[in-house]
Amino acid sequence: MPPKKRKSRRRGGKRGKNRAFRLPWLKILLLALVLAGGYIGWLDFQVYRQFEGKRWSLPARVYARPLELYAGLALRPGQFANELRALGYRTVSRPRRPGEVARDGNRFQLITRPFTFWDGREPSQTLRVSFSASRVTRLQDDRNGARLALARLEPLEIGSVHTARQEDRILVQLGEVPTLLTEALIAVEDRRFYQHHGVSPRAIARAFLVNVRSGEVVQGGSTLTQQLVKNFFLTSRRSLWRKVNEALMALLLERRYSKDEILEAYLNEIYLAQDGQRAIHGFGLGSRFFFQRPLDELSIEQIALLVGMVKGPSYYDPRRHPQRAKKRRDLVLRVMYEQGLISQAEYQKARNAPLGLVRAVAGTSKQFPAFLDLVRRQLRREYREQDLVSEGLKIFTTLDPQVQWALQKSLDRRIAPLLGTHPDMQGAGLVTHSANGEVLALAGGRRAGFAGFNRALDARRHVGSLIKPAVYLGALEQPARYSLATLLDDGPLEYAQNDGVWRPNNYDHRFHDQVMLYQALAHSYNVATARLGLDLGVDRVIATLRRLSVDRPLNPYPSLFLGATDLSPLDVTRLYLNFASGGFHVPLRAIRSILNAEGEPLQRYDLEVKRVIDPRPAYLINRALQAVVEEGTARALNRRFASSLGLAGKTGTTNDLRDSWFAGYDGAQLAVVWMGRDDNQPMGLTGASGAMQVWADLFAQTGAVPNAPAAPEGIVWHGVDRVSGGLADRGCPDTVQLPFVENGVLPPPAPCAGGRAPQWIPEWLQ
Amino acid sequence: MRIPFLLLVLALSACSSRPPLTRPPVVDSGAPSSEPRPPRAESPPVVEAPPAPGASRGAVVALLDRAEHYRRLGDTDAASATLERALRIDPRNPRLWHQLAEIRLQQGRPAQAEQLALKSNALSAGDRALQASNWALVARARWAQDDPEGARRAERKAAEARP
Repeated sequence: MPPKKRKSRRRGGKRGKNRAFRLPWLKILLLALVLAGGYIGWLDFQVYRQFEGKRWSLPARVYARPLELYAGLALRPGQFANELRALGYRTVSRPRRPGEVARDGNRFQLITRPFTFWDGREPSQTLRVSFSASRVTRLQDDRNGARLALARLEPLEIGSVHTARQEDRILVQLGEVPTLLTEALIAVEDRRFYQHHGVSPRAIARAFLVNVRSGEVVQGGSTLTQQLVKNFFLTSRRSLWRKVNEALMALLLERRYSKDEILEAYLNEIYLAQDGQRAIHGFGLGSRFFFQRPLDELSIEQIALLVGMVKGPSYYDPRRHPQRAKKRRDLVLRVMYEQGLISQAEYQKARNAPLGLVRAVAGTSKQFPAFLDLVRRQLRREYREQDLVSEGLKIFTTLDPQVQWALQKSLDRRIAPLLGTHPDMQGAGLVTHSANGEVLALAGGRRAGFAGFNRALDARRHVGSLIKPAVYLGALEQPARYSLATLLDDGPLEYAQNDGVWRPNNYDHRFHDQVMLYQALAHSYNVATARLGLDLGVDRVIATLRRLSVDRPLNPYPSLFLGATDLSPLDVTRLYLNFASGGFHVPLRAIRSILNAEGEPLQRYDLEVKRVIDPRPAYLINRALQAVVEEGTARALNRRFASSLGLAGKTGTTNDLRDSWFAGYDGAQLAVVWMGRDDNQPMGLTGASGAMQVWADLFAQTGAVPNAPAAPEGIVWHGVDRVSGGLADRGCPDTVQLPFVENGVLPPPAPCAGGRAPQWIPEWLQ
Repeated sequence: MRIPFLLLVLALSACSSRPPLTRPPVVDSGAPSSEPRPPRAESPPVVEAPPAPGASRGAVVALLDRAEHYRRLGDTDAASATLERALRIDPRNPRLWHQLAEIRLQQGRPAQAEQLALKSNALSAGDRALQASNWALVARARWAQDDPEGARRAERKAAEARP
C-alpha cells in the first residue's frame, strides 16, 4: 500500500518535468516536497523517540503487607478467605493455576502467584492450609504433603501515586499476554494486522461490509497500528489533518518496528476505563481493574469483554452499562467462535457466564484513603513528585488489611447510632505494632466522610487524662520518693496562679482522700494527679513528654497535668508506643521498602529502637496501666477480655464530654481511638463509653495477645493492703501484689499487718 | 452465633497449656470475670532460650536460618529484612533482637546495635548466657563509638551475667 503511494507521487513529479519546466510551479513543488520530506522526517523522529525512550511514565504503586502464612498464625479461616477474595483468587473445585483456591471447611488448597519482594522473589507455590477456629494449624505443600515453615502471598495493591488525570497502567510483555486475547483482538479490530503495512483500505472496506451485514458497528476501519498512533501521539481531535498524520505515522511505525513490538505497545497503550482522576490504560491494568487478577488468569468471557471494550470504553463500561457491555462481549465471543479461536462448547459456556466484575475499588485508593495519605506524606518528604508519578516505584507499606477492615468496621459501628443526635459525630483510630512501630491500620474518619480531613493525623484535640501516664512516669522514675503504693492526697486543692486560683475537680465530683499512686492513675483522679504534678513541677512533666516524642507546643501550666493540651491520635500513638514497647522509643513506620521499576531495592526503612525509659520504671508504668483495665476506668473491658491477657490502657475524657479517647495495648499491638464532633461540641461520650468500645470491638476481631513483660532486674514484689496502702501480711484481707524498685521507698506496714494507721500526709511530704 | 462461640471457647481451653508468649487465647467468654488477677509471682514469666515459643517456632527458625545464610554471604540488608520478618511473627524473642544487633554492628551502625542489644536484654530475663552476649555486644558497640568507659562497664556486666 505505501509503495503505491510513493509511486504516484513520483509520477506526479515526472508530469511536471514534461509540461512546464520553467514555470515557478516547479520551485513550489520542490519546496513542497522538501517540506513534506522534512515533515515526514520529523514525524519519524517523533515515532522513534517515543518508541525507543521510556514510553510510559508509571505511577508509583503502593502495596499492603504481604500475608505470611505459617503454622501458629492467629488468623480465622474467614479472614483468610477475605484476604484471598481481595487478592482476586477464584474459587474452584481443584486449583490448577495460580490465583485459584479450593475451600473445604477449614482447609484451603491454593496456588499462589509469584511475586518479587524487596528481599527476593517468592515463587508460585501449591499450598494446603489447615485452620482451627482461630489459627493456622498446618501449612503444607499440596503436591506432596510436606510441611512448610512459611509461605508468603503476594501483597494487596492498595493504591498508586499519580497526578490529576494521569494515565495508569501495568506494563505487560507480549509473552505474558494470553494468545487468545491477541487473536481475539486481531479478529475483532484488525484481521489483516499481520499482512498490512500500517493502513489497510481493504480493512476499511471489509469493516464496512461486516457492519452493514450485522446491522451495527462491529469493526472499525483503522488498523491496530493506526489506533496505536492515535492513542500514542495524537490528540483526539477529529480532523482530516489528523487522519493524514495518523496514516503517515502508522506507515513510519511499521517501517521501523516489527508487528510484535507494535502489538505489545498497543496492548499497553489502549485506553480502557476511567477511575476518578486516573485513566486506566492497557490490558494489564484493565484486567486488574475489572477482574482483580493478572492477565494470564482471565477466562474466555473476560478476555472477550476487555477486547470488546476497546471500541468504546465509556459506552461499553461494564460497570455502568452492564447490558450493553454483555451484548458487546457476546458479539466478540461469536467472532471468536466463527474464527475458530474457541470451540462451540467454550462459546456456549462463555456466553452464559456472568460479567464477573469485581467492585470498583480494586487497586484504587478508595479503600484505604487515610493510610495512603500517611504514606504519601512520607513519600513527598523524601522523593521528588516527578519520580513518584513516573518512575514506576513499588512501595511496600505496613498496612494490614485485616486490621484495617476491623478498625473501620468497629469505628463505623459505634458512630452510626449517634449520627441521629450528632450528625457531626466523627472518630479516628490508629493501630501500630508496638515492637517495631509499623502502622497496621489508620482510620481518618467515619466511612461516609473518608475523602477529606484525616483526623488520625491532623485533628488536634484536648487529650485529657491520656496525658497522665507521663506525669506518673515522672514520679516512678524517682524510686527513692515514689512507688506504685505511695499515697497521694485527693482532697480539695486550691492553687494560686497569676490569673486566679486553680481548683481541679474529679470527674465524679468527689474527693477520695488518700489513694495509692497506681489507683489514682487507674481511676484517673484529677486532684491527686494535679498535686503529684505540682510536686514534680511543670518543667519536669514537659521534659518527660519531650523525651517520649511529644513534639507539639505544650502549655507550661499545671492544667497540662490534666491534659489541657492538643494532640492528634498520631501524637498519642507516639507517646504510648514508649509504654507498650517496654520503655523503648520506636519510630512509626508506614513504609517498609521501596523498589524501582526493575525490582531493585532503592530504599529500606530499617527497624530502629532507642531506650528512653529505664527498664524498672517502664515496668512499673505498664503495671499501672494494666490496673486501669483491672480495676480502674477501663474495667468494663474485663467483660470481654480474659484478665490473663494483662491488657493495659488509659481512657481520656475532656470537659463536657467533647472528646472520647482510649489508648490501649496488648502484647503485640497498640491502638489509639478518638471520638468527638468536628465542631468540638459535647457529644455525650466518655473515654470508656465511646472510644474504648471501638477499641474493644477491634481487638475482639483481630484477637489479643497477652501483655506479660518480663520483670527486669531490680524489681521486687510486695503485698499491699488495698485499704491503707501499707505493706500487708497474712492478716490483711484485701491485698494487691505490686512491683517495687529494689532499694526504693516502701510503704510502712499496714494496720492489718500490725503497723500504725497511715499518716495523713505521705512520708515524702514531711 | 452460639456454635462458633463454643468453638472459640474450646480452642481457648486447648491453648491454655501453652506458654504465655504464644499468640493465644484471644477474647474470652464474655462472662464478666470478677476474679482478681492472680498475683504476679516473684519469678518473672519464663522467657526461655528456644528461638520461638509455641506453634510459630518453625517459621521463626526457618527465617533465622535464612538470615544467618545471608549474613555469611555478607548480604546484611537481606539478613536484616529477614530478621525483621521473624520479629513480626515473634516480637518478644530476644534471640532475634540479638541477631539484629549483630547485623547492625556488622553494618557499621554501632549506636543502633547497642540499642537493639539492650532491647534483647529487656526481653531475656532469666537467660544469663544471652544477657552476657548482649552485654558483650554492647561493649563492642561502645568501643566502636569511642566510649571506652561505657564499654568497660558493659564488659563488667557481661562478666557478671556469664553463667
